[in-house]
Amino acid sequence: MSEEAKRERFERLVLAHMDAAYGLARWLTRNEAQAEEAVQEAYLRAYRFFHGFRGGDARPWLLGIVRNCCYTLLERERAASGPDEFDEDAHGEDAVAAGAVLNFPANPELAAIESADRELVQRCLRALPDEYREALALRELHDCSYKEIAAIAGIPIGTVMSRLARGRRLLQQALRERMKKEDTGT
Amino acid sequence: MNCQATMRLLHAYVDGELDLPNALALEEHVQGCPRCRSLHANLLALQTALRRHGGWETPDALRERLQAHYARQPEVRMPRRTWLAQAVPALGALAIVALIGYSGYEHTRVPSAPEPARIVYHMTNSDAAGAALRTLGNHLDAAPDVAVVVVAHNNGVDFLLRGARDETGQLLETAVRRFKERGVEFRVCGNTLVRRKIDSGEVIPEAKLVPSGIAEIARLQGQEGYIYLRL
Repeated sequence: MSEEAKRERFERLVLAHMDAAYGLARWLTRNEAQAEEAVQEAYLRAYRFFHGFRGGDARPWLLGIVRNCCYTLLERERAASGPDEFDEDAHGEDAVAAGAVLNFPANPELAAIESADRELVQRCLRALPDEYREALALRELHDCSYKEIAAIAGIPIGTVMSRLARGRRLLQQALRERMKKEDTGT
Repeated sequence: MNCQATMRLLHAYVDGELDLPNALALEEHVQGCPRCRSLHANLLALQTALRRHGGWETPDALRERLQAHYARQPEVRMPRRTWLAQAVPALGALAIVALIGYSGYEHTRVPSAPEPARIVYHMTNSDAAGAALRTLGNHLDAAPDVAVVVVAHNNGVDFLLRGARDETGQLLETAVRRFKERGVEFRVCGNTLVRRKIDSGEVIPEAKLVPSGIAEIARLQGQEGYIYLRL
């Protein structure tokens, strides 16, 4: 492939997904500067390894690269920073049995969640552990199928499902608690 | 289907991953079971809140840097946005960019060799919007270079309103955003909004308002060489 043809193809298939790339990086890094850095690095790698792209939808392929760049970046910086807001031990993967799906809380008041504002939603999403935030971002914000999420995150489809269910439950709880706090002014 | 099975399959259902027989059985159960109905409503509410507030706009500086590095002809890709940013004082520019959103960014490419086809899709009904978008997706898969404008008119505007869902309960805004990323433009008839008393704030930011849908279609066909298709 000539350089010009490669550029044309790259622009049409990969550059077009810049918004998705940035959106995912923003959620995975939770930081504007790091998201920009990760996206730039991802495009650099994507361009370098574009010959390895086998056709089809380039979006999941690109998002997989973005994800790797984000985690590489975070790993480098995490050594120096403190632990996450969430208690990983209490909410880790082990706690995610199939039962988590069954314990989904039935609470009609939660319909109020639909009216939650941007600031609240963002704060609660930011506080979710990486694996749940990642699954939710790919599913809800980038409309990825279970199969695509499994490929991007390198996990089985069953794990995608349990992470989505668990992530949604945690997010609903967090939203409900924060909304309650706001209502009572605490 | 009972409550236990419904709860097990509900996430796959709202994610559009459930096969048809199970989806139908689940729907039937949810209709008649207040508890499962409320679970379903809660999940949809969460989905709506996430999709409405979870997105990020790519910063202009990053967009321009990547365009400059990887687009073939960066100088013809960004004229309107750059022009706006320079011509209007900083705060005004911010407000305008926020108002027009992506519509300031032209996806049209400068053609080389044979000119790709231009299609204007006329959407007059949103009842089967999901199926219509699938048709559009198939079209783009088969002919990735085709330039597509969707003009929504009469009941066709509904699928471009906030919170609109397709036949299976999926939010349409995400699908529309993906088409937008692939270069498809969505235009909404202003006359229809006035006649149906729909506030323009209800229209999702991915779509652009035009004064008259019919006049827009006529203009695209008459002056810009678009081919008319009904969606």
